[in-house]
Amino acid sequence: MTPLNITRRDAAAGPVLHVAGDLVYGQAAALRREVERLDLGAGQCLVIDLSGLGICDSTGITALLAARLHAHAAGAGIALAAVPAGTLNVLTIVGLDRVFPIRADADTA
Amino acid sequence: MRRLGEEPAPSGAGGGANAAFTSLLEDSAEELYESAPCGYLSTLMDGTIAKINDTLLEWLGLERTAVVGRRRFADLLTVGGKLYHETHFAPLLRMQGELRGIALELKTQAGARLPVLVSSVVKRGGQGEPLLIRTTVFDAADRRAYEEELLRRRREAEQARAEAERARREAEADRARLADALAVLQRSLVPDSLPDVPGLETAVHYHTASADRLGGDFYDLFPLDGERWAFFLGDVCGKGPEAASLTSLTRYTLRAAALHDPAPEAALTTLNAVLYERYAVGGDPRYCTAIFGVVEPGPAGATVHLASGGHPPAMVLRADGGVELLPTPGGLLVGVLPDAPVGSVRTTLAPGETLLLYTDGLTEARTGPGDRYGEDALRAFAAGRAPASPQQLITALTGLLDGFGDGLDDDTALLALGVPAARPTTELPR
Repeated sequence: MTPLNITRRDAAAGPVLHVAGDLVYGQAAALRREVERLDLGAGQCLVIDLSGLGICDSTGITALLAARLHAHAAGAGIALAAVPAGTLNVLTIVGLDRVFPIRADADTA
Repeated sequence: MRRLGEEPAPSGAGGGANAAFTSLLEDSAEELYESAPCGYLSTLMDGTIAKINDTLLEWLGLERTAVVGRRRFADLLTVGGKLYHETHFAPLLRMQGELRGIALELKTQAGARLPVLVSSVVKRGGQGEPLLIRTTVFDAADRRAYEEELLRRRREAEQARAEAERARREAEADRARLADALAVLQRSLVPDSLPDVPGLETAVHYHTASADRLGGDFYDLFPLDGERWAFFLGDVCGKGPEAASLTSLTRYTLRAAALHDPAPEAALTTLNAVLYERYAVGGDPRYCTAIFGVVEPGPAGATVHLASGGHPPAMVLRADGGVELLPTPGGLLVGVLPDAPVGSVRTTLAPGETLLLYTDGLTEARTGPGDRYGEDALRAFAAGRAPASPQQLITALTGLLDGFGDGLDDDTALLALGVPAARPTTELPR
């Protein structure tokens, strides 16, 4: 299990969280906490940059869904960027590729 | 107190040293007898005390005149000591002529008990006839205290051992109770056995990744009416008790929904509404993937109607050896959105054909560093065994799962149902 490291930067459209490591049982809760700390404004877009993502299990997907709920509750949008192929395949199987806007990279905002 | 070296120097040399030494010697045997650091006692053969020294009188707090010729040795003892003296001490002494180191208790005039060690010897006359008994009495209070301390320590050690043993037994009982409770809960998540379905053969396998972590996979099979049967299989997010409660909610929601409206899409839509309302609305999304199907066996085979919410596609092993995936495009994880789309598909199973539902524990099993077994490998595995009856397929897949060893780190559920081939197979339906 690769340790999770989440870093934040601010882009013009809203905050960008860069996720490095595994979003798995026992670690994924850190992403939920990080997202809940964000003070999102209406009309902003939260981008979760997954270019450093290792493994993503069902608790990782739960954390992404919780981030989506948090953003929508604030009237903000959410997008996933640079999703690794394996995770994109899982997202497609479970239909989440139609729930999350998916971008090639975090800067194509 | 003066020490030896501080004795005043005698006036005369030589003889003076002898005089100093002599002054340290006992004046007489009588003095030694009376003031020895132990008690001395002589009695007649019937126990009457004939002679007793000062030391022993002092211990007892008695006057010589009250003792000599008036009391017997046994009179000096406690009640228990008297009994022991009468039944053991005196008879043994008469037989053996001597006894050494017998532990007794004296009773003092003030009423205190004095633990002592007693040795006695019978003095005989010229003809060997017994004349009297000589007895020494040693104060054993220290030794008795030491023995009592040993006994106390031993009792404490035994008590500690008993407590440790009881704690161990309680821990085992707790573990057994917990295992029983987990087993009961596990049975509420997946059925013990599947009902017999006329015209169909079924087989299941459930692999639990961890004995003490309730599983997150589920399946079921039950009758809808006289002709149709409903079945489902799925996987909830997460692990442990929270996943188990979600599994339970999911299973019974699906069963109840199917009785209300047997269309597979309707059952999953109901489940989606229940999970969304229960969890996502509160900001704590929980979800599952599930395939729900309705099968209707008929004379020429069985029709199958499947709906899926984000679950890996079902697989069909055809009678001609072909393998088909049954994708259900458009389906979404159940419980994520208030109005989730559900994908559906229909197929027909001819005699000798088998439908397989599985959870991703199978396709996500690790086969090497960074490698997962995958859907393509599963399809190739099935193709190598088609056509196969449900039981044959499940047996082969169970062997495959066993072969993954530690690589199989998630719960895995397998459910197969098929129409028996026209030529009866050697295996009976479960």
